[in-house]
Amino acid sequence: METIGFLIVFPIVAAAVLLLLRNERARSVVVVGSVLAVMAGAVVLAAGSLFEQPAFFKLPLPHLDEYISYVMLAVSLACCAYVVVKGVLHKRPAAVLMAVAQAGLLVYYEFFVAHGLTAASDFYVDNLSVVMALVVAVIGGGICIYALSYMRDFQKHEDEQGRPDRRPVFFALMFVFLSAMFVIVFSNVLAWLLCGWELTTVCSFALIGYTRTDEAVANSFRQIMMNLAGGLAFAVALILLGTAPQPLMELDQLVLLGSATGTGFFGAGYFGYLMLPIMLLAVAAFTKAAQMPFQSWLLGAMVAPTPTSALLHSSTMVKAGVFLLIKLAPCLGWNVNGSLVVLVGGLTFLFCSAIAVSQSNAKRVLAYSTVANLGLIVACAGIGTPEAVWAAVFLLVFHAAAKSLLFCCVGTAEHHIGSRDIEDMDAIFERMPRLALLMALGMLCMFIAPFGMLVSKWATIVSIVESYNIALMVMLAFGSAFTFMFWAKWLGKTLAIAHAGTNVEKGVHRFEWSMLALMAALVIGLSMGFPLVSELVVMPYLADVGAVTLGGTHPFWNAVQPAIAFDNLVIMALLVTALLVAFVVQVSRRGSRARAVGDSQSSASAPAGGAMTPEAGPESIYLSGVGLDFEKRSFRNALSQESQATQRNWYLESWFGESVLLSIANLVTIVVMAAGLVLAVLSWGGVL
Amino acid sequence: MSLLSFAAALVGFGVLAPVLGCLLSGADRIVSARMQGRVGPPLLQPLHDVRKLLAKDVRPVNSFQGFYVLLALLFSLLAGAFFFAGGSLLLVVFVLTLSTLFFVVAAYSTRSPFAEIGAEREIIQVASYEPMVILFAVSFFIATGSFDVSVALAREVPVIAQLPLVFCALLFILTIKLRKSPFDLSYSHHAHQELVKGITTEMSGRTLALVEVMHWYENVLFLGWVALFVVWSSWIAVPVALAAVLAVYFFEVLIDNNFARVKWQSMFKWSWAVTLVLCLANILVLSFL
Repeated sequence: METIGFLIVFPIVAAAVLLLLRNERARSVVVVGSVLAVMAGAVVLAAGSLFEQPAFFKLPLPHLDEYISYVMLAVSLACCAYVVVKGVLHKRPAAVLMAVAQAGLLVYYEFFVAHGLTAASDFYVDNLSVVMALVVAVIGGGICIYALSYMRDFQKHEDEQGRPDRRPVFFALMFVFLSAMFVIVFSNVLAWLLCGWELTTVCSFALIGYTRTDEAVANSFRQIMMNLAGGLAFAVALILLGTAPQPLMELDQLVLLGSATGTGFFGAGYFGYLMLPIMLLAVAAFTKAAQMPFQSWLLGAMVAPTPTSALLHSSTMVKAGVFLLIKLAPCLGWNVNGSLVVLVGGLTFLFCSAIAVSQSNAKRVLAYSTVANLGLIVACAGIGTPEAVWAAVFLLVFHAAAKSLLFCCVGTAEHHIGSRDIEDMDAIFERMPRLALLMALGMLCMFIAPFGMLVSKWATIVSIVESYNIALMVMLAFGSAFTFMFWAKWLGKTLAIAHAGTNVEKGVHRFEWSMLALMAALVIGLSMGFPLVSELVVMPYLADVGAVTLGGTHPFWNAVQPAIAFDNLVIMALLVTALLVAFVVQVSRRGSRARAVGDSQSSASAPAGGAMTPEAGPESIYLSGVGLDFEKRSFRNALSQESQATQRNWYLESWFGESVLLSIANLVTIVVMAAGLVLAVLSWGGVL
Repeated sequence: MSLLSFAAALVGFGVLAPVLGCLLSGADRIVSARMQGRVGPPLLQPLHDVRKLLAKDVRPVNSFQGFYVLLALLFSLLAGAFFFAGGSLLLVVFVLTLSTLFFVVAAYSTRSPFAEIGAEREIIQVASYEPMVILFAVSFFIATGSFDVSVALAREVPVIAQLPLVFCALLFILTIKLRKSPFDLSYSHHAHQELVKGITTEMSGRTLALVEVMHWYENVLFLGWVALFVVWSSWIAVPVALAAVLAVYFFEVLIDNNFARVKWQSMFKWSWAVTLVLCLANILVLSFL
């Protein structure tokens, strides 16, 4: 209980301090210190509750929960007010209108709906919230430290263009973000959860608009419009729940009663009135998790400095959306809501994976891959069986670790190479050797066995097949082919050896290295410890959901089986270890040999721009003539002139480009969502 | 899949697959030659080729390519061992994909424009057959109730009785996996339709020998997939499976010699269309029965 309070309040205090600090050194100290404190808090919490039954807390003092409710309401209203002010300044009447409507709904809910209700428990801790807290504290906190040195480089560019130093605001926002995430993962009172939800929305709004360029402002308003729409859906759901025949204001009650609606596809039965609120919550989660047709706000968020993207994509914001859906998973499954969630997630995975093939901007590839993977998590939550939730939790964790690693790598590469285009990162294996290997590790973890994401996807396949969801199975099979395409060609480019190029990674700051190392260690450690994490953390969570949250009432959740046999998990972990050893041996062997015989690993031994020297070092590649320069891939042609061979990766834009697929994908998902909403309204109204 | 059966399969597959693969490759070349009105090389020619490659000087273009190819070989060996030990079909599929990835990375690592084109084409080949490979495992589960290869041997009827269309679709994409025309886009045994030497452009000597051996392993594994459809719990299954495997391989050689290489667009469209239509039809019929 105290630890939860610490995790929620401490980052706010840190943010307030950071807002006042203009000295860079002091800021570094505060950020590093606070992050370490938050990480320690999360670890203490994990040590205390990971192996225990889920705990529900009622605040110890009378009326304290009332006061907290008012504070939360005030925070939500402040968020709305901020959006109103920004909307007026930038002349966005629609955003103003939505923020006002949101504020009105919240006030109405607090004083006319929730007033007569009291919650049996205010906060809770179960293994999922501990896992989320660790993800937020370790990965989110790590990104804050990474941001210290990144933002220093960033500010140099800003200074050159005469822009003011607004880094205090930046770091304050990052910490508020962490606090808001803790509110989301620990609140059992839905209205408080919504407060955290709104706070993350507004924090990312401010972070996306950080640079105040026209593009940044436009994209931040795109984000706020979509997420306010989600917030409105959430608020309406709250009011519907609070005014239902059996009024509800707590998450665990909602999950318990909602899971009983699974008696029929249209939720006919005693708790049928819960269908519509749950669907509205799902729609809110879609906006937050950037599911199609709402994906464009996350793509637009790329204008912000890279740590923002890393934070939004890996540990916060979008993960709040999938977290809510994973929580609601027992209510989904074979009913209107579950089918909607499965379809939206599956279609998002398929379409976004395909579009990622056509992107050459590294950050856009990562963004589409994020949306696609979130789609997979959403689809798993929609299936609603324990096996699928098992897969969803692992997808969430591995995605957070690998994506933050990749974003931070791309951010560092961008600062030292001057471009975020994959084609410009040519020969990065020599220009930034350590970074290239870390990047390769992140990519491998994203799409290939034996690393975590693919093992989770394996479990996804098993759970889909066991629930006979053939449509989703087809989407997954075809989407996976695209996944291989866009990762494999980028990985190949990253590992290409040019025998030339100057090493430019000397200037990378130690904050960046240490955080990259932390994330790489997480990726490797989690992949190697997969079987243990499954047995000790995730399987008990699933059993607890069945026994405690659902009280043993739900047939699927009583005998929880892992989707993948334990020995297969062990095989995967062993393969990860073997691959790791092989790479370490290979890299160190190459390094020592390079020192011994002057292998042209760096430009030191390869004269003048990497000229090809047949006597020492490697063989020349075949280039339709005598090779002249490794780096330029030039050769002497049949007329004794110098020719240059060029070869770019294939992006197949006429097949998979945004202009080809985006409109179709948006249309399809809008139709699916509209149909789902109509069905839910009809069944709520008692028509079906 | 117990540790013992895995160890046995690892040794058995590791030793026997190259022998069988080599003989298969030799027979392939003789049959192909006869189809073209030539006499063809002796049966053991592929072995002589590999021995010659092994005897060559080691002149790599970089110090990583051989490492990646070795990993590719080891993972295809491992995939075969998992398969013949009766392990999960999905495990086999994923380890095999890992093997292919390292083969692709080996080509990329050279930064040779020709090898890169080969690697791009290999990636498109993977994208063309991967949905079918996953759906093959999935429909095997729908038919048998398990992903484990070993259940096929414990059944009263062969799987093909339930999955005839899936079998046909698998044959279609096996043409890609066996690197046969018209889908041998990334690297072909027919010199006349090759752009330099595709994905293997920069591989030579020992490394190229490893590629050949990997190819033998893979071919035996793929024929194992074919056999999976026609076995059941009886000794008669052994000659039946053998005959089926040989017939399928002959069929692939026949196709190989009668088609010219197609563009990647055609390969992509056809394999996806075949996969979607045949698998979906088969799975839907199976679930409603």
